[in-house]
Amino acid sequence: MSTPMIELKGVNKRYGHVQVIHDVDIAVADGEFTVFVGPSGCGKSTLLRMIAGLETIDGGDLVLNGKRINDVPPDQRGIAMVFQSYALYPHMTVAQNIGFSLDLKKVPKAEISREVGRVAELLQLSELLDRRPAALSGGQRQRVAIGRAIIKRPRVILFDEPLSNLDAALRVQMRAELQKLHQELKPTIVYVTHDQVEAMTMASRIVVLNQGRVEQWDTPIALYSNPVNTFVAGFIGSPKMNLLSGTLGADGDVTSFRADAGWSVPLPGRSLAGKIGERVTLGIRPEEIRPVDDAGKADFAATVAIVERLGAETYLNVTSGDATLLVRVQGDLAMSPGEPVQLAMNHDAFHLFDQSGRVIAA
Amino acid sequence: MAEVRSSRTVLTSITAYGTLIVISIFCLLPFVWMALASVDSNAQLFLKWPDSWTLDNYSRVFNKEDGYRWFGNSLFTVLSATILVIIISGLGGYALSRSRAWWKQPFLYAILLIRVLPSTALLVPLYKILLGFNNAEGAVVRPLFGSASRQVMQIFGFIDGYLGLIIVLTAGQLPLALWIMKVFFDGVPKDFEEAAILDGATLVQRIRRVLIPLALPGLAAAGLFTFMSAWGDFLLPLILLSSAELSTLPLGLFRAFLRVNEIDYGLLAAIAVVYLIPAVIAFSFARRFLVQTFSGGVKG
Ligand SMILES: Nc1ncnc2c1ncn2[C@@H]1O[C@H](COP(=O)(O)OP(=O)(O)OP(=O)(O)O)[C@@H](O)[C@H]1O
Ligand SMILES: [Mg+2]
Repeated sequence: MSTPMIELKGVNKRYGHVQVIHDVDIAVADGEFTVFVGPSGCGKSTLLRMIAGLETIDGGDLVLNGKRINDVPPDQRGIAMVFQSYALYPHMTVAQNIGFSLDLKKVPKAEISREVGRVAELLQLSELLDRRPAALSGGQRQRVAIGRAIIKRPRVILFDEPLSNLDAALRVQMRAELQKLHQELKPTIVYVTHDQVEAMTMASRIVVLNQGRVEQWDTPIALYSNPVNTFVAGFIGSPKMNLLSGTLGADGDVTSFRADAGWSVPLPGRSLAGKIGERVTLGIRPEEIRPVDDAGKADFAATVAIVERLGAETYLNVTSGDATLLVRVQGDLAMSPGEPVQLAMNHDAFHLFDQSGRVIAA
Repeated sequence: MAEVRSSRTVLTSITAYGTLIVISIFCLLPFVWMALASVDSNAQLFLKWPDSWTLDNYSRVFNKEDGYRWFGNSLFTVLSATILVIIISGLGGYALSRSRAWWKQPFLYAILLIRVLPSTALLVPLYKILLGFNNAEGAVVRPLFGSASRQVMQIFGFIDGYLGLIIVLTAGQLPLALWIMKVFFDGVPKDFEEAAILDGATLVQRIRRVLIPLALPGLAAAGLFTFMSAWGDFLLPLILLSSAELSTLPLGLFRAFLRVNEIDYGLLAAIAVVYLIPAVIAFSFARRFLVQTFSGGVKG
């Protein structure tokens, strides 16, 4: 990687005695679309606002394009931000909102209106330039907010949950528009969301945050295939990965996983000697489990609790002992609650985590 | 059955409207008397149709009496206080809304308490304090301005001067205005300012181009409340002003009423009408802003 556009080195943030960001180390390459994802209150907004310069940094370095900018005022960082509330000024027209930053810089009127026209065209806002924000739909306001950010030709654009105020259909549409915009203008984007689907679909890289710490930082597919701990395993992927607790046992030479429900599966090809008897968590995605007719091919038996039909596919909530698992099956499978079911798992798709939740390397 | 019910509802309506009409007449009567008496060439204490219509009463208010001066004094002191309240409550309300100081809540309730306490009870100490200031000020002004010091003190004095009345009116109206502005700014998301910061707005630009336009409905509400209640204040000018040149409208009305030898009802009614008009105008402005301010702050 050449010089990253944004680099965070051991960044910390405290509110009073409460530390909300712990030693965050990440780098965002030029033109990359990075998404911060994590549960509510994990510090995503705080981290984003630190990059923007709206929050002070209590420790560590924030580097933009090779230059430390911890103490550079927000407007001199070349960074624009789109707020969750959009923060469009109600007393200004769309054109005035978009051109506000240029107007503050005393750019000549003719040039402002040329730039506003360019941005409006890009965002299909040309017809709406004389309207007030109150007279716009949610999606249009969203576009004005984006226009206000990109008119400055920023090197970096920050988004804080920009789609969370839109309805589901509009969110999907805006997601596509944002991706298109990213491909056309190639800005570096840092995007905050708590919706992992949004993260998976848009990001070149995802930073998974939990309680102010980076749990994992990688491409969407890497996070999906190789989660480093149970938090990431449970957070990335929809529906969630099944996490089953059990112990490691030995059947002759082969180590096996003994589920608390009583059944066990072999874990061939793993060097787990010395860990026999330890409590572990087995992770398996819903699509890696399938129902089988033959009890001989099955790994365990369970009872169907809930059947969720989505058309093309159906999700079975099954119980085995105290554990509840989700199984993805094809849409037309005849199953009803209360029925017993034999289930087989793809043994190559196992994720094994130790007691502290960290992945045990294969 | 249906007929019984409908006749009953008619009866209820008649009683309800009848009661309301009686109450309305009772409330309106003083205004009707005032309006009629002010254009009556021979107004009396009782309600009557004017003997002959005339504007003579009004002309006397402004020509024979000191009407222009009273009106000017009232307008000057009340408007000055209103402007001061708008500025201070705008800045203060913003600070109170954004601050996380531990004394914020105690302070807000303390100023509300000031408002609740009957100000009449505080008149004596207030007068004492203002008198102290006034004497100290006089001691400085008199050697400096010599013979002109009376004029200077009438403007800048704390007792029998515009400044004293303006300050006390301002202080009296500030608690409510601060509350209005604090609550108003609570409804203005910080995002507006932060977006402006990222756009490169300086502090002054943020105030002028973002905060003031956003706060305008709140400021208007605070200002109109201040204007209306300061305009109606009678006790403070009565206590603080004694020179005839400084007299305000309510004082003029009061002194005209006190003249023992002849009570000129036509003149009194005309002064009262003049006194009422600005309040009515202020109220008609207020209606628009109050609805906006108290029904949900800023919508973006
Ligand atoms: N001004 C503040 N003072 C004290 N604590 C704060 C402040 N702002 C945020 N916090 C705390 O910092 C933590 C991180 O907050 P932040 O807003 O960054 O979360 P988030 O990940 O954006 O959550 P959400 O998805 O709900 O927006 C939270 O626990 C929050 O309570
Ligand atoms: Mg947030």
